[in-house]
Amino acid sequence: MNSLGLALAILGAALAALLAGIGSAKGVGLVGEAAAGVVSVDPTKFSKVLILQLLPGTQGLYGLLIAVLLLSRIGVLGGGALELTLSQGLMFLASGLPIGVVGLLSGIAQGRAAAAGVGIVAKKPEQNGKGIIMAAMVETYAILALLISILIIYNIAL
Amino acid sequence: MQRIEIVALLSDSKKIMERLQRRGIVEVSDCTEEEFVKLNTAASIQTFEQARAKVEKALEILRDVTGDKASLLASLKGKREYIPDDFGKKAAGVDRALQKAYDILDDQKRIADCKSRIAKLTVLRDSLAAWTALDVPMNCKGTSRTNALIGSLPAGTDLEKLREQTEDVYIEVVRKMKTQTNVFVLCRKEKEQETYDLLRRNGFSALSGTTGKTATERIGEIEKEIADLGGAIDDRLADIRDHDGMQKDLEFVIDYLGMRADKYKALGKLGMTRETFVLTGYIPKKYAPALVRELDRKYRVAISLFAPEADDDVPVLLENNGFSAPVEGITEMYALPAKGDVDPTPVMAFFYYLFFGMMLSDAGYGVLMVLFTSLVLRKGKPEPKMRKTMKMFLYCGISTVFWGALFGSWFGDAVQVIARDWFGREIGSLALWFEPLDDPIRLLLFSFGLGICHLFLGLSVNFYKLWKAGQKLDAVCDVIPVMLTVLGVAPMAAGILVTVPPVVASVGKYVAMIGVILVVLTAGRSSKSIPMRFFGGIYGLYNIATGYLSDILSYSRLLALGLATGCIASVINLIGAMPQNMVVKTVLFILVFLVAHPANIAINLLGAYVHTDRLQFVELFSKFYEGGGRAFEPLEVNTKYIKFREEQNNE
Repeated sequence: MNSLGLALAILGAALAALLAGIGSAKGVGLVGEAAAGVVSVDPTKFSKVLILQLLPGTQGLYGLLIAVLLLSRIGVLGGGALELTLSQGLMFLASGLPIGVVGLLSGIAQGRAAAAGVGIVAKKPEQNGKGIIMAAMVETYAILALLISILIIYNIAL
Repeated sequence: MQRIEIVALLSDSKKIMERLQRRGIVEVSDCTEEEFVKLNTAASIQTFEQARAKVEKALEILRDVTGDKASLLASLKGKREYIPDDFGKKAAGVDRALQKAYDILDDQKRIADCKSRIAKLTVLRDSLAAWTALDVPMNCKGTSRTNALIGSLPAGTDLEKLREQTEDVYIEVVRKMKTQTNVFVLCRKEKEQETYDLLRRNGFSALSGTTGKTATERIGEIEKEIADLGGAIDDRLADIRDHDGMQKDLEFVIDYLGMRADKYKALGKLGMTRETFVLTGYIPKKYAPALVRELDRKYRVAISLFAPEADDDVPVLLENNGFSAPVEGITEMYALPAKGDVDPTPVMAFFYYLFFGMMLSDAGYGVLMVLFTSLVLRKGKPEPKMRKTMKMFLYCGISTVFWGALFGSWFGDAVQVIARDWFGREIGSLALWFEPLDDPIRLLLFSFGLGICHLFLGLSVNFYKLWKAGQKLDAVCDVIPVMLTVLGVAPMAAGILVTVPPVVASVGKYVAMIGVILVVLTAGRSSKSIPMRFFGGIYGLYNIATGYLSDILSYSRLLALGLATGCIASVINLIGAMPQNMVVKTVLFILVFLVAHPANIAINLLGAYVHTDRLQFVELFSKFYEGGGRAFEPLEVNTKYIKFREEQNNE
């Protein structure tokens, strides 16, 4: 029964990296498609659209971050994995969900906003800062989820 | 900002305008007085701009052909400097450079023509390749007794069946392809119509555009022509390449034409009489006396300065001290202050650097930022705008070092990892304060605390603004109850996460109650009837509760982004130090360090920048700032490649 706890905890880490990573990949891909169109017309705008394309990439990083924090907390990264009870395992699984699920959806949503921001760069390149800010609004919720994931990981009694 | 009016002789107008352009401190307004004549400069402006676009195109072609790219480093280096005398000499050579630009464009056009001709010929050649097996001229009509038909039949036509249907007809397959079969058909003269009809029924189409040569000969000709065209392209490219070294001259022409277009736009705004002209516009107050003196000394002018009137559309130029000026760009990105607004730049400057550092929060990364920006500021000669940005990142870098040292993060835990894995020593935490991961709750509450300070700063500015505008009641009612409520609720909310001293909590309770009551009493004060006021008050309370709750929670990003930087940095070190073999480990660690840390810096730099901006725009600015002012757009030397060096005491 105890090994099941550990398995659940690792599932939590995997879900965090997995879902948030998918979200970022989709988001970054969406912006990339829009950005390539702008660059094909005016290659000098590459650096501006690149910044926009990077924006939805953070969710994946947050997912990775949570996965690593979780794995190191349960000792998988240090070598000696801890014995976890079933309920501890479920708690760790739960800790991966906020950043996983919110990362997935917000990554895609942020990708859409950033792709629309690419339109700003195409028409009014000097206003690209506003496009960045609008896309960054979406990220707030990923950050809140990240925060909750961190707080859960560090507040589970072992 | 002051209004300026310059009256001078028409004969001096161009010289005066050129001087104003070099100074770049006067915004010229359109003259609306009806008794003055205005110069129609639209045609000249169009000529300049069209020529400029052509030269830009020529420069692009030249760069493309010679293979030199405009590098990012060049933008840090700044523009080439000219003193006005040299500029005059150089300007005399503009026509020559313009001619060269047209030569380049002409070459380019010829190249494009050759290329499209080659494309056509290639298609033709490929279609002829299917006829090489035919060894008679392609327009062969037959002999004196026979008739020849050359063309193609659809794929899958049964030739045997065709042969059976006719007598004395010779059908030779030239080439069988997937889509069609090319055939050579020979028949007796008197059977021509019959044969042709038969073939037509089977989908025959005759070869078009034929010549008196065989396909092989024709292909040889076409290939020779393609080679000739290729040679012509090479010649033209060589011609363009001969212009290598002209890039700087072309850049000069581009800027020269741009400046002339700007000058003519300004000239078009002047009001003129037969002998004189009048210029009206705006000038920042601090520059006015020097300009008046300068113009007075050199020309016969009458200048008057006066304060703008209440309904004038006065442009805005931000002016701040050395500490806050670097973040002016951030204000400009949001919106310039409108009339009656407080310039938010100095308000946010301190918190801007503070938050940025806290979100990046790695001393090693901060040191790199400081080194890089100082280097650019020292060695390069960045333009004013770039200089400001660099200064902003310099200050942000210093703040990053400060927070990184407090949290003990130097390239993540690189120091600890190196000490442990290579020297076998545990050196523990380097934090001057505490490691965020050891006690995230403490840092979370600290972030909220900073957030409350930030919000209160915004509220205080609003108080000042309203008070100064004479709305003293509004100032008190809009700000004080909110502050009391937030101050009172904060310790109670903190009690959920940590133990708060009971005295503080109970004081908080009463402060919060007073605040809430005041909000309910005052928030609906604009309504007439008592019940409406009451509901307005309740609604105001609801707004404050939700608004400020989300505002304050938003500051948790200070913690989250800081943790993200540090943790990812530590993960990088962890990956680098994974192998057991010491040699492999050392090599991998150095490699990973050199590749992954810069990537982490780039991503987190972007994150810190974007989220610091957000905290200023959404949380702070919404408390007091409206914006919507018009930017000061002086007649100036608005160039890409060159600039003027002014000797102030010349002549």
